Amino acid sequence: MAELSLYSVEAVLLLDNEGNRIYTKYYHSPHEKSDSHITKRAIDGMSSSSKQQTEYESRLFKKTHKQNSEILIFEDCLVLYKEYVDVSLYLVGSIDENELVLQQAFSAIKDSLELILATGIDKKNIIEHFDMVALAIDESIDDGIILETDPATIASRVTKPPSKDAPINIELSEKGLLSAWGFAKSKLAERLQQGL
Amino acid sequence: MSTHTYKKFEEADSGILPDKMTIYQDCLNAFNESPVNAKRCRLLISRLLQLLAQGQTFPRTEATALFFAISKLFQHPNDSLRQAVYLAIKELSAVSDDVLMATSSIMKDVQNGSDMIKPNAIRSLTRVLDESTAFSAERLFKSAVVSKHPSISSAALVSSYHLLPVAESTVKRYANETQEAVSDLKTYPYQSGTSEHYPNSTYIAQYHALGLLYLLRKHDKVALMKLVQQFSAGNLLKNQLAQVQLVKLVGSLLQKDPQLVTQFTPLLLSWLSNKYESVQLEDAKLITSLPDRFVSPEIFASAVQTLQGLLTVPRVTTRFAAVRVLNRISMVAPEKIVVCNPELESLINDSNRNVSTYAITSLLKTGTSNNIASLIKTITNFIHEISDDFKIIIIDAVRTMALKFPEEWKSILNFLINVLKQGEGGFEFKNSIVEALFDLVQFVPQSRELAFENLCDFIEDCEYNEILVRILHILGKEGPSMKIPSLYVRHIYNRVVLENSIVRSAAVVALSKFALVKNDPTLVESIEILLRRISNDADDEVRDRATISLEFIESIKSKEGASSSAAEDLLQSKYSYDLVSLESKLSQYMSAKQESFKAPFDSSSVHRYTEDERKAIDLKRKQEQLFSALPSAGKSKRAASSSQDAEKRNGSYAGPASNEVDQDLQSTKFVEELESIEELKSLGPIINTSKEVPLTETEAEFVVSGVKHLFKNHVVLQFHITNTLTDVALDNVSVGCTMEQEDSTALQETSTIPVDRIMPSETFACYVVYEKSEEVVTEGFLNTLYFTTRELDATTHEPFAGDEGFQDEYEIDSLFLTAGDYIKGSFVGNFSACFDELPHSEVAVYNIKENISLQEVVDKLVVNTSCLTLDNTQFAPTDSNSHTLKLFGKSVLNGARVALVVRMIKSSKGIALKGEIRSDDANLCNDVVDGLI
Repeated sequence: MAELSLYSVEAVLLLDNEGNRIYTKYYHSPHEKSDSHITKRAIDGMSSSSKQQTEYESRLFKKTHKQNSEILIFEDCLVLYKEYVDVSLYLVGSIDENELVLQQAFSAIKDSLELILATGIDKKNIIEHFDMVALAIDESIDDGIILETDPATIASRVTKPPSKDAPINIELSEKGLLSAWGFAKSKLAERLQQGL
Repeated sequence: MSTHTYKKFEEADSGILPDKMTIYQDCLNAFNESPVNAKRCRLLISRLLQLLAQGQTFPRTEATALFFAISKLFQHPNDSLRQAVYLAIKELSAVSDDVLMATSSIMKDVQNGSDMIKPNAIRSLTRVLDESTAFSAERLFKSAVVSKHPSISSAALVSSYHLLPVAESTVKRYANETQEAVSDLKTYPYQSGTSEHYPNSTYIAQYHALGLLYLLRKHDKVALMKLVQQFSAGNLLKNQLAQVQLVKLVGSLLQKDPQLVTQFTPLLLSWLSNKYESVQLEDAKLITSLPDRFVSPEIFASAVQTLQGLLTVPRVTTRFAAVRVLNRISMVAPEKIVVCNPELESLINDSNRNVSTYAITSLLKTGTSNNIASLIKTITNFIHEISDDFKIIIIDAVRTMALKFPEEWKSILNFLINVLKQGEGGFEFKNSIVEALFDLVQFVPQSRELAFENLCDFIEDCEYNEILVRILHILGKEGPSMKIPSLYVRHIYNRVVLENSIVRSAAVVALSKFALVKNDPTLVESIEILLRRISNDADDEVRDRATISLEFIESIKSKEGASSSAAEDLLQSKYSYDLVSLESKLSQYMSAKQESFKAPFDSSSVHRYTEDERKAIDLKRKQEQLFSALPSAGKSKRAASSSQDAEKRNGSYAGPASNEVDQDLQSTKFVEELESIEELKSLGPIINTSKEVPLTETEAEFVVSGVKHLFKNHVVLQFHITNTLTDVALDNVSVGCTMEQEDSTALQETSTIPVDRIMPSETFACYVVYEKSEEVVTEGFLNTLYFTTRELDATTHEPFAGDEGFQDEYEIDSLFLTAGDYIKGSFVGNFSACFDELPHSEVAVYNIKENISLQEVVDKLVVNTSCLTLDNTQFAPTDSNSHTLKLFGKSVLNGARVALVVRMIKSSKGIALKGEIRSDDANLCNDVVDGLI
C-alpha cells in the first residue's frame, strides 16, 4: 500500500477528436520536489517537458479513441475518460488510488462542466467559455488533491465573466484617489524594475 | 481602447488563438490600463490560461512581467475578474520571480474578500509563500480552517497540506483546529440567487482535514490509533472520501504493525458492508493485502464475498476495481477466489475489454488441471474479438499457466498453434505466441515433437523475418537431438530456396548444426551437399556462412575421435556468456589506451553459463513473472519493474529472491569492486557471491549489510556500512569477526581492509579476508563494528580540528557461511529421475516451534540452500497444511549435483520438516543437511 497521501490525481486532460490539446494540466505539489512525494510517478519525467507530455497524450488518445471503456490502466496510471462528440475528458490518477474515489473526482468535473456549459460539451463551447472551464477544473482539483466532488457546488463557485464593462461612476468619484494610486503604482513599478 | 480593436478581439473568439506574443502584449497593455476594463481583462486572462493549458511557456522575465501586470488588477473589486486573476497567479507563480510581492494583496482578500473569492485567495496564497514567509500566514490559515463556510475551510486545509513540506511547524500550530474541522459538519449558508446552482455540502473538508492530520501525526502511532477510534465511532464521518481515507489510515497502521489486525477486525468487518462502494472496495483491498497469517480465513472470505458482489454492479469502474483486486489475489492465492468463478466467467464478455482481460487472466490462475481444457476452449472463442494488446496479455497468462501445469501441455499447445495459424494479428502478437511455444519446448520436453512440427508448418508462410529467424535458430538448436532430424532439414532447406538473404543465412547456420548428428552419416553427407550448393548463393553473407560451416564440418571429420573440438563448439555452443559482464568488459577494453589492443580481448574472464544454468535462470525469472503478469498495457521497462514492485508490496507474499537479472548485475558490480582493490587481486577469480544480507535494523544508526565472496582458497566477507547520523563522521571503520568455533583451523584470518572515513549518509565497504581449504567450509561469524566517532562542524561539514573522537564499537548480527553459499541453482528437466540416480543421500528431520507459515519456511529453505525450486513447488498452498518442496542445484566448486525433497507438515505444535538430500558429493550432502534451516 502506498504512502498515505491526498495527492491522488496526476493530470486532467481535455483533448479534441484528433488528440490535440484543448486543456492539459499535469499536477505536482507546489512546495515539494516532485520526486520526493509518491515515489512511483510514472508521469513524473513527463510533467517536466511538454514534448513528452504531448507524446504521452497521443499514445493515450490512440489507446482510448473509440474504445469506450471508461477506465483503464495506462502506463502505470489509472485513467478514467469519457469521449464526447469532438472532445475527450481524461483524468489520470495514481495507480494505487481507490478507483471509485477517482471516479468521484472524474464525475465531479464531468458533471460540473455539463452544468456550466449549458448547451453541451463540445470543442467550440469549451473554447468560448474557457475561463469557466478552467475555473471549474481548478475548483475540483487543486494541484492533485481532490477539492470538491459535488458538481453543483463546483458550478456555483465558478463565476461568469463580467456582463458589462466596469461602471464608470466609481471612476469619477474616486478620481483623486485613483491618480494617487497611479502615482504610487508607477513608483512601485520603478522600484521593482530596479529590483529585477 | 477604440471600438475598432475591441471588435477584432471579439472576432477572435470563434476559433484559433492569436499567437503568444500578441496575447502577451495585449495582456501587458490592458492590465496596466487605468481604469481597469474587467470584461476585457477576464477575456485576456482566459486566453492566457488557454495558452498555458496547451503547454506554452513564457521565459522567466516575461512570466514575471505578466505576473506583475496581473497583480495590478487587484485594484478592481469585481469578484468575477478576481477569480480569474487568482487562477492566473496560481499558474504563473511557478515560473515567475519575486512572487512574494503579491502576498499582501492576496492576504487582504483572505481577510476581507467575499465568500466567493476567499477560497481562491487562500489557495493562491500557498503558491506565493515560501519557507521564510509561511509563518506570517498562520493566523489567516487558522481562522480560515475554522470558518463556517465549507469551501473556505477546505481551501485552507488543502493549502496547509501543500505548505506542510516547507512549513511543518507553522501548520502544526493549528493542529487542534484541524482536528475540529474533521468533526465539524459545515453547510453552505443560504445564498440569494447569486448563482443558478445550489451548492450542496458533501462535507469534503473532513477528507482534507483527515489527510492533513495523518501527515501531522504519522510518526505517532498512539495518536493515529486514537484518531481511528475517534472517527470510526458512530457516523461522524459523513464524507465518502474521508471514510476511504480512514480505511487507508488503518491500512498504514496495519502495515507497520500487523499484530493490530485482531483489534481492528470488527471495524474491518463493518466497513465491508458500508453503504459506499468505495469504502467496501478499499476495505477489501486492505484485507486481501495483509500478510496471510494475520488474517483469519473468515474475514478474508467475507472480503472476497464483498468483491464478488461488486462484480455484478452496473458501473464499469466498480467492476474494474473489483476484478483488479481479484486478479491480484489470483496471483498468490487462486484457491481463495474460486467462489467468484461464475461471476468472472460472465465478465469474459464485458464491454470493457480491460475487465474481460482481467477476468480471463484470473480464471486462468484459478483454473485447476481439471477445468483448464474447458477454459482454453472459452478463450479460443473469445480471443478473436479483441485487440492485439489484450491478446498478448492473454497469451502471456496462458504461457505462465503452461509452466504451472506442465501435464496440460497438449491442450495449451493446441491452443497456441491454433491462434498462431489464424492469419490475423500483428508482429508483437505472433512473437508472444512463439515465445510461449519456446517456453513450452524448453521446460516441457514432451511437447517438443508436436511443437516443432507445427513451427515448421508455420514458417512456410510467416511474413515476419524476426520470427522466422528465431524459429530457425531453435530448430537448429534442438532439432539435431530429436528422433527424426531429417524432417526438419527439409523444412529449413525450403527456407534457403524461397526466402530473402536474412532468413537464408539463419537457415544456413541452423542446417550446419545438423551435421553434428552422430548416428546418421547419410544425413551428415546430405547436409554437406546442401551447404556446398548454398555456397554459390547470390548473397555474400549466406555464402560466407555456408563456406565456414563446411570448413568446420571438414575439420571435425578429419579429427575423427577427438571428442570436443573447437569447431564443434562453434557449431553448437555449449554455453553462453553473461551478457551484462561481457558488455562491461568489452567497453572497458575499448575505452582503455591504445596499447591494450596489442593483447587480444580475454574472454575467459567473463562469466559463462552452461545450458542448464541458463535454463535455471530463465525458469526462475518466469516463475517470478507469475506475480507480475499484470495486464498492464504499459510496455516500458520502468513501468514493468515498478508495477512488479508494487504488486509485491501489495501481495501478501514476497518472493524469496529478487529479480535474477538484478542479481547478475549486482555480482558483476562486486567483481569490479573487488578487482579494484590491490590486496584482493591476488586471490584469483570469484567463484560465487552470495546475496546481500542485512545485519542491522534498517533504522539503526549504522546500517550494515554483508556479502560473502568465495574464492578458490579464500573467503572474503564484505560489509557495507552506511552512516545514517547527520552530524557525526566515522573514522577508521573496521569489522572484527570472530568465528563461532574458535578452535577451528579450516579458516585463517589473513587481513582486514578498513575504511578511513564515512561521512553522514555515505556508504562504504570494508573487507575481511580468510584463507580456507579447498573443500566446503561452513562457519558462523560474530561481528562487531569498530570505529571512532568525530563530531562534525555544522557549517563546514568537516570534523572539528582538535576533536580526537571517541573509540566505540557496535554489535551487529552474525554472518553465516553455509553450504548454500557453495551452491548455485540449476535446472533439470526430469527431477525425480535425476533425484533417484544421485549416489549419496542424507535425511534430516527438523521441528520448528515458531508460529510461521509454510511459505515462510519455503522461502527460508530456498535462501539457505540457494537452489532452484522445480516442478512449481515454490508456493506453499494456503489451504493445506502440508507441502513438498523440490530443490535442485550444483556445487560451484566441483559441479556436483544436489537435489532436495523437503516434506513439511504444519500442525498446532509447529512445523515438522523432513528433508531428503541427494548429491554426487557425500560431503556436500552432509553440509547441506546441517545448514538446512
